[in-house]
Amino acid sequence: MEGLSTAVPNRLSSQQSEDTFLVELDRFSGPLELLLHLIRSQDIDIFDIPISQITRQFQAVIESGIEDLELDRAGEFLELAATLIRIKAQLLLPRPDDVQWDEDPRAELVRRLLEYELFQEVAGVLGGAEAERRRHFGKGYLALRQQPEEVRGKLTTTLAELIEVAGAIPEPDPVTTHVAPTRVVTVEEKMSAIRTHLNQTDRLLFSRLFGSWRDREHVVAALLACLELARQQVLRIEQVKRFGFIWLFGDNDRKKSGSGSKTTNKVRPSDASKLTDVHDTETPSELSLAPVDS
Amino acid sequence: MSPEQIVEATLFASQTPLTPREIARADESLDVGVVRTALDGLRERYEGDGRAFQVYQLGDGYQILTRPEFAPYLERFDSVPRPPSLSRAALETLAIIAYRQPLGRIELEEIRGVASASVLRTLQDWELIAVVGRGEGLGRPLLYGTTKHFLDHFALQSLSDLPRAQDLPISLARTTAEEVTESDIGSLVRSPETSEATGSMSGEEVETESP
Repeated sequence: MEGLSTAVPNRLSSQQSEDTFLVELDRFSGPLELLLHLIRSQDIDIFDIPISQITRQFQAVIESGIEDLELDRAGEFLELAATLIRIKAQLLLPRPDDVQWDEDPRAELVRRLLEYELFQEVAGVLGGAEAERRRHFGKGYLALRQQPEEVRGKLTTTLAELIEVAGAIPEPDPVTTHVAPTRVVTVEEKMSAIRTHLNQTDRLLFSRLFGSWRDREHVVAALLACLELARQQVLRIEQVKRFGFIWLFGDNDRKKSGSGSKTTNKVRPSDASKLTDVHDTETPSELSLAPVDS
Repeated sequence: MSPEQIVEATLFASQTPLTPREIARADESLDVGVVRTALDGLRERYEGDGRAFQVYQLGDGYQILTRPEFAPYLERFDSVPRPPSLSRAALETLAIIAYRQPLGRIELEEIRGVASASVLRTLQDWELIAVVGRGEGLGRPLLYGTTKHFLDHFALQSLSDLPRAQDLPISLARTTAEEVTESDIGSLVRSPETSEATGSMSGEEVETESP
């Protein structure tokens, strides 16, 4: 085999040939089939494949469809693309004039293609032989294959009938839009709710404030209510450890503890030891109550 | 009861091809020679009478099967079991294994350019190929070859009935015919004759006469 086919092709013709080769990648069961298609449909001489052009076209087809392929199949196409690029590189490498290739870098590819096509032909022959053999039936029981029901008689509708039916269709209901009113949850409501709770119990779990309502409005209102009440020094907010439960203590506790001045109204992550410093009557053990489910 | 009738009854009742030796077991009066004569007689009779079926022969196996012209009628029924109509991938794989057996999966995949594990499984399920040995190399990979069933499925008497490379039109070679020599193409394929001649495993496994 002779000749480098990597001379820069006429720009116009290569553009044309590329444009006409946006074929669907999934038409091809494998990379060799695609390559063969490119070669055949352009009447390329397989013994002198223009590697540059073919590689470019091959890559273009792959790029257009490869994302839709399964990974394994995509890999197969990429592998051949890499082979084509390697061959192209080998052809481009300069060699000293007196050194010849052992073999044209394209030779292996050509052999593969010829072999592939050979087996395609054989597969065709086998397919024909199979079809012929299947025309002979042997012993077996015959079960009636399901036939679709045949519609008897022609369907005829007159225009008058059609109009009558169309006229009988009732007017569609006017579109009614329903507006679901959003109930405004006020912070005041939450505040009085908290006060009520705290009159009944010493301490209250923050998450209990909104009970079954998990709407953002409720949570935000509850949080603001707590903060406001804390600012008014009506309650104390405490969290034993980070991301732990948040407890609210009514000012009843404050009176009991008698250490009002030291009580904090700030929400702060504090560990048990720190709390014992601040609150005399409250021991870590009290605070580490078994969590109430909320 | 003539030998012809006995042979006819035996063939009719059998679901698989029978060799003359197997048919002869039907009665002491039969031997292989008598059976063969009877088979010829049956064949002539069916043709002469214009019967819808015929004595179908493949290798040394005989069956009574319907004539192919009746296929359109019979295709309206589901006849169990009917051999599958194979996919292109399956036919391609069979073609390669038929010519290159014994062949491992890796080599097969190199020729096809695509993964082939599932086709191989399908073909094994249909008993068209079988494991005929293990390769020498790393991992001792499984090697596949075609089966007797393969020949029956394609109505081939033996692997030699497969087309020789030289007889196939290879369109790619058309363009520079003078450069493509017989040996070029021939070297692509170890024709079935040579693989049998070298006494490779395929020869023994594939075309067994019924014992």
